[in-house]
Amino acid sequence: MSTERSLEIRGISKRYGETVAVQDLGFDVHAGELFGFVGRNGAGKTTTMRIVLGVLAPDAGEVRWDGRPLDLATRRRIGYMPEERGLYPKMRLSEQLAYLGELHGMAGSEARASAVRWLDRFGLKDRANDDLQALSLGNQQRVQLAAALVFGPDVLVLDEPFAGLDPVAVDVMAGVLRERADAGVPVIFSSHELELVERLCDRVGIIDRGRMVACGTVDELRAGEQERRWIDVPGAPGDWEAGVPGVRLVQADGTRRLFELDPGIDDQALLQSALNTGPVREFERVEPTLGEIFRTVIEEAAA
Amino acid sequence: MNARSFGLGGTRRLPTTFLVARREVLMRLRSRVFAGGTIVMAALVVVGIVAASLLAGKTNPVRVGFSGGSQALERSFTASAAALGTNVTVSDIADVTAGKAQVTAGTLDVLVIGSSTAPTAVAKDAILSNVESALSLAAEATRLSDAGLSPASVKSAMALVPVQLLQPKTPKDNENLFAGLALGILLFIALGQYGNMVAQGVVEEKATRIMEILLATIQPSRLLAGKVIGIGLVGLLQLTIVGAAALVAVHVTNVAAIPALGLAGILGDIFWFLLGFLFYATAYAAVASLVSRQEEVQSAVAPIGILLIAGYLLVYAALPNPSGPLATVCSLLPPFAPVLMAVRMAATDVPFWQVGVAVALTLASIGGLTWLAGRIYANAAMRIGARVRFMDAFRG
Repeated sequence: MSTERSLEIRGISKRYGETVAVQDLGFDVHAGELFGFVGRNGAGKTTTMRIVLGVLAPDAGEVRWDGRPLDLATRRRIGYMPEERGLYPKMRLSEQLAYLGELHGMAGSEARASAVRWLDRFGLKDRANDDLQALSLGNQQRVQLAAALVFGPDVLVLDEPFAGLDPVAVDVMAGVLRERADAGVPVIFSSHELELVERLCDRVGIIDRGRMVACGTVDELRAGEQERRWIDVPGAPGDWEAGVPGVRLVQADGTRRLFELDPGIDDQALLQSALNTGPVREFERVEPTLGEIFRTVIEEAAA
Repeated sequence: MNARSFGLGGTRRLPTTFLVARREVLMRLRSRVFAGGTIVMAALVVVGIVAASLLAGKTNPVRVGFSGGSQALERSFTASAAALGTNVTVSDIADVTAGKAQVTAGTLDVLVIGSSTAPTAVAKDAILSNVESALSLAAEATRLSDAGLSPASVKSAMALVPVQLLQPKTPKDNENLFAGLALGILLFIALGQYGNMVAQGVVEEKATRIMEILLATIQPSRLLAGKVIGIGLVGLLQLTIVGAAALVAVHVTNVAAIPALGLAGILGDIFWFLLGFLFYATAYAAVASLVSRQEEVQSAVAPIGILLIAGYLLVYAALPNPSGPLATVCSLLPPFAPVLMAVRMAATDVPFWQVGVAVALTLASIGGLTWLAGRIYANAAMRIGARVRFMDAFRG
């Protein structure tokens, strides 16, 4: 698999009557990349994913894979886990996965072997001949992911794959997604678990009211954020920082203080002022979490 | 997991419509609903046929008692009754009063009193016309003999004028009408049942949300076609099993002659079932795709059910005169043709051109309906929640 292959979403728009679901949205996901798609409920994540899968037609824009617009043949190579989970409740796991494998173009024997492999991977080999409805919801979700993976997809699109999973299952799911990405498959998934997205994803897209408001690596997104420092100066008077320009107190915790620095402000000036008042026990650079970045970006977009 | 557990094996990639149809067939054949339903249907049909044969064979002989001079009629009466197909037992009654008491009590059906040339039949409230005729014939023969005439020569002297028909009508006896009616009922039930099965299957896929996964990999029209074909084959298999059970039961009990439909007739019925199924199943699928919950299916498909019932009622209106204008016109029109034309073909000889027109119109309407249903299905299949309005689904 060539590493230049990428999924390109180009200027897609979709409206339902008066409601704009997605407005001129565009981003790329490259081969080998884990792309996290975050946004509030109703921001347009699911609509975007449905358009990528072709189950929804956009009013404008297009989706390209490997330089060409997606058609049914290439769409069949995308593994999809919809937000509304759905499989046949009264069908055996192994048969269900093999059936989906065949629908995606595998030969019968190949599909059956792959179904067994994925069930084994998710620890469900013993349940292969059980109906789906006999499984717990968490296990059903594993089968749902297996359904997206069973035919060896070229692209993975997963809507909230981690919702409702226990911590062990989250680790298994995260491991599989990383492994698929490392095998050269572009992986897009949406999630409200921002810590997980931050830890797992190569790049993140933040969507708000149908528009992509920020897109890039977490470090790139941080670049727009104000710098923060924790400083602990136990012997200092209460307002020792008053004379330092471009510095704002955010939080105090005993003698520890969290400051926010305006863009371009040298943190060494802050440290020097602190040292002037007494011994500095702690001076720590704090990176904003994805959650903090998310809130800031959404607030800015609203303004 | 092996080839046995999921049908056809092999390393070939198979067309998606075939895959969908195969899943429908295998899942349904394996379900208890299919096995149970088939057994219950076959059992009901066989029980009905056996019961009919028992009732037919259980007609008790008519008990006729003769008193006095009429006792001379016993032999010729028994012969005449047998010739008329009525089973009788005769007995001598010594005392007329006691005999009348037996008739009143119901232990004797008919008491014959009087002489052998002028007998009188005494019955409680009614008398079988065959018994009355047999008694009259017996008395008549006695009177002719008494007058010195031979009953045979009198019969030939009184023979009716023979009639010669140059263009006799084709036989439309009761057996053909009965076969037509039975076929009409069967087609009506089968089309409704399997059409509903398609509707339930479509809504099941919407309700369980697997539709979204399926539509990401297969065109709506192919999914629809696979479903209709799969359920149609299951229905045909079930009908064949029930039909075979019925034929065996009829043959064993000998309750009626197996209708002279022959192989051509049976193939014709299968053909009409398939055409009717394609027509109605496609309509059922399109309408069912408008709703998302099983509870809503029945009200959604009601209009199609009404169309089916109308066709069924037309069978009763058309059968008495299967070549009349009402029967002819309605049997050409697509919604009714699959049932009505099949019924007419069983009941009478239908001109070839009429069959051709009915087939052509039905095929054309199936084509149109498939296009319409594919469009509605594609537009409504992904809309989960409130019932989708027909025109919204049509416009997309």
